[in-house]
Amino acid sequence: MIVAGREGGADGVRIVLETEEAMLLSELADQVDSVLLLGGDDDPALGRLLPNAYPDDATNARDFARYTRESLVDGKRQAAQSVRDATATERGSGIVEIELDQAQAWDWLTFLTDLRLILAERVGVVDEDADEADEQRDDYLRAAYEWAGIVQGSMLEVLDPMQG
Amino acid sequence: MTSTIEQLDADLVTDEAVRPDLPWQTIVWDDPVNLMTYVTYVFRSYFGYPREEAERLMLQVHHDGRAVVASGNREAMERHAQAMHGYGLQATVARAEA
Repeated sequence: MIVAGREGGADGVRIVLETEEAMLLSELADQVDSVLLLGGDDDPALGRLLPNAYPDDATNARDFARYTRESLVDGKRQAAQSVRDATATERGSGIVEIELDQAQAWDWLTFLTDLRLILAERVGVVDEDADEADEQRDDYLRAAYEWAGIVQGSMLEVLDPMQG
Repeated sequence: MTSTIEQLDADLVTDEAVRPDLPWQTIVWDDPVNLMTYVTYVFRSYFGYPREEAERLMLQVHHDGRAVVASGNREAMERHAQAMHGYGLQATVARAEA
C-alpha cells in the first residue's frame, strides 16, 4: 500500500494497492454497507456509528435520532459504497491505482472510521473462552482493524484539512 | 389570533426560559478507536479551527475524556453533533453547566 500526494499539487490523495488489498477493502466496504442497511437497533456496532446525542434525556434522544438517523445512514452508506466501487477489481490484475479528490478522500476517511468502530465492537464482545475458530476470526478482524488504521493514518499525512 | 400567537410563544420559550443565560454545547467524548490525527483533522476541517486549537481540543478529549467543541444555540449544537456522528466521533448535546 502506497499513499502519496497527487501529481501537479492537486488536492486529494493517490493510493496504490495490491490487488489483494483492494479486494479486501472492497469486501469490507460491502460488509459495512450491510451493517448500515440491515443492522437492527440491538446491534452494538450500529450504536457506535449512530451514538446517542442525549444520554440523559430519552425524549430528546429519540427526537434527535428521528431527525438525523436517515441522513447519517445515507451518508455512511454512500461513503462505503464509494470505497467499494473504487476498489472493485479482478484477481490477478496486479496493482490498483486510485486517485481521490478532497471530497472522495473524505468518503474514505469516514468509511475507514466506521469500519474500525464496527471491527472494534465485533472483537471486543468475544469472551476469553472463545474456541479456536473464534480466535482465528478475531485475529483476522484485529489485523483488518490495524491495517485500516494504517491506511487512514497514511492518508492524513498527505491531506490538508483546510482544502476542499 | 392573539391567543394562538401567545400560545406559540409560550411553547417556544419553555426550554430556553429555564436558564436563558446558559448556552448549549456540543461535547466530543474520548473513543479508543479513533486516531488522534483523525480527530484533529475533523476539528480543523469542519470547525475551521487553527491547528493549535484543534490539537488542544483533541488532547483534552484524550486526557479528560471529553471536550466542549462548540457552544451556542441548541439547533446549531445539534447540527454539529450530527456532523460529528457523520465523521464517526462520539458527540452529545447538553446545556452548559452553571
